[in-house]
Amino acid sequence: MPARNHSQWMAKPPLADDEWIDSRIYSDQEIFEDEQEKIFKHVWVPVCHESELPKAYDFRTTSIAGEPVIICRGPDDEVRAFLNVCPHRGMLIERRPSGSFLEGQPSGNPKRITCMFHAWQFDMKGNCVYVAREKEGYQDRFCKEQAGLRRLRCEVKFGGFVWVNLDDKPSVSLEDWAGAPFECLRKTLDEEPLEIFHYHKAVIDTNYKLWHDTNSEFYHDFMHYHNRVTGFNDAYFARNNEAFPHGHVVVGTFEVNYENYEGFESRGELSFPHLPPNQWYMIDLFPGFNFNLRGSALRCDTVTPLGPDKVMIEFRGLGLKSDTEEERITRINHHNSIWGPFGRNLHEDLIGVAGQGTTMRPGTEERRILHGRQENQTIHDENGMRHYYEEWGRWVDRSPSQPDQAYSVRQGVAAAE
Amino acid sequence: MPKNGYETAQAVRDTIYRASLALDDFSWQDWLDLCAPDEFHYMITSFSPEIGKNMIYLQGSWKEMKLMVDMLPKHNTDHSPLHRHTSVYTVDVSADGKTAEAVSSVVIYQNMLDGINSHIDSGESRLFLVGKYHDQFKIEDGVAKFTKRDTRLGNRRLDKGSHYPI
Repeated sequence: MPARNHSQWMAKPPLADDEWIDSRIYSDQEIFEDEQEKIFKHVWVPVCHESELPKAYDFRTTSIAGEPVIICRGPDDEVRAFLNVCPHRGMLIERRPSGSFLEGQPSGNPKRITCMFHAWQFDMKGNCVYVAREKEGYQDRFCKEQAGLRRLRCEVKFGGFVWVNLDDKPSVSLEDWAGAPFECLRKTLDEEPLEIFHYHKAVIDTNYKLWHDTNSEFYHDFMHYHNRVTGFNDAYFARNNEAFPHGHVVVGTFEVNYENYEGFESRGELSFPHLPPNQWYMIDLFPGFNFNLRGSALRCDTVTPLGPDKVMIEFRGLGLKSDTEEERITRINHHNSIWGPFGRNLHEDLIGVAGQGTTMRPGTEERRILHGRQENQTIHDENGMRHYYEEWGRWVDRSPSQPDQAYSVRQGVAAAE
Repeated sequence: MPKNGYETAQAVRDTIYRASLALDDFSWQDWLDLCAPDEFHYMITSFSPEIGKNMIYLQGSWKEMKLMVDMLPKHNTDHSPLHRHTSVYTVDVSADGKTAEAVSSVVIYQNMLDGINSHIDSGESRLFLVGKYHDQFKIEDGVAKFTKRDTRLGNRRLDKGSHYPI
């Protein structure tokens, strides 16, 4: 077809309703605010790995949907999560990304979470244990027993990741939320403790869903020279894209031929437990969390949406806690060769989604984004994105292809069901 | 410092600055020619207070770095050139004058070409990375060759555009 005029360009694509979406869902401020309220404040978020707070009194801070969160390991070895907000005057209690409460702070004692502003102190269970000049100020009207922190749902699960949910009454348990997609790697990830060795972040001017889309579709492997030469064979093209309840997708495994990239080596000797050599599994969890196991190293991506056109992506790399020094170095090299900030693939993925962000900035004309590849739910089928956006539509009650209208099951989905 | 330490320290500085120019120009072979092929080890590292660990972001031997830069044309990349502002802080020459160590500060600017929207961004320079070079050298015939470079970054935020040896 020759280049199109405006009305041709804006016309509905000749595809089923669920095979395309409207780009306003990537750029609209109101939709972004809906997502924060209706999705991110109610889903299980993998905020960190337990090895980031290995000892009693270690802490880690993060945020979900704009709410500051602190994770602590208590003397009873339990990992708990609280809002990182002082109940007195709303001060951010802990300002550092991580550390230990074993040491006292200028305003407080060892083994206490202390708000520096007025020296209120809390224990690792979130109990308020000290209010400065409590009786003098509050007499019998208010006391520290009424000033506990806001506790949050928190579980350590699926390979030692710390999951937090801002909702006191989540619609489903963490097991029911993510257990089925993790089944393919459950034995592998839970066989022995994992340990983090890599962390970096990127802040990209694009919508968070575009990053998750890129993790969910493998058609973009044409962009990656590495993946073309190490992957494109019959087994690769036969990989399944399997949809799971709650909008999750698992991309099935095959054996990657790393030696086909000049200078790279097989990762077979350091395979994670119970896996044949050089396997590659991908678990994509709604609304934007990714677990990617390439034989010898595990990567986890966590998105934090910062606006309709801005996202922070945190990248973690993990190996086995039992690694020897030599094994760890090899795992790190394997991880970095593709996924490190100076590696072959990650950089290309970031360029891809940044380019999408450029064309879909707030105020730009809506575009038709095609999710219509049908290949029997194999690797280049776009069923993963179609499945995701049906879940998305249900959560925000908007049609992905007509976002100013309420959600209803779209044509292709209805036909498939 | 040995008798000829001043000249050796000058040779070390000369090699560091020539390396910055070569890297700025994407003249990978010129950069590798400043390194001892059988001994050179390159690293980009950073300490993460977030996870409480020293991290390696990239490392390799001379041969591995050569393979890496030779493969760059096969990969998509941001086209914005990087400009290094390097200041050599210290040079310590060994007593026998055969080796030396140096610490330099490096600030790297990205001279935008692609940007997010090149129509708007191209031509602008942005602060990209900050860090220090911890270098080791062998000295032969008055010439300093890198045997090790550890680029210790302060950054843990690395957006697109970080595809090269730094």
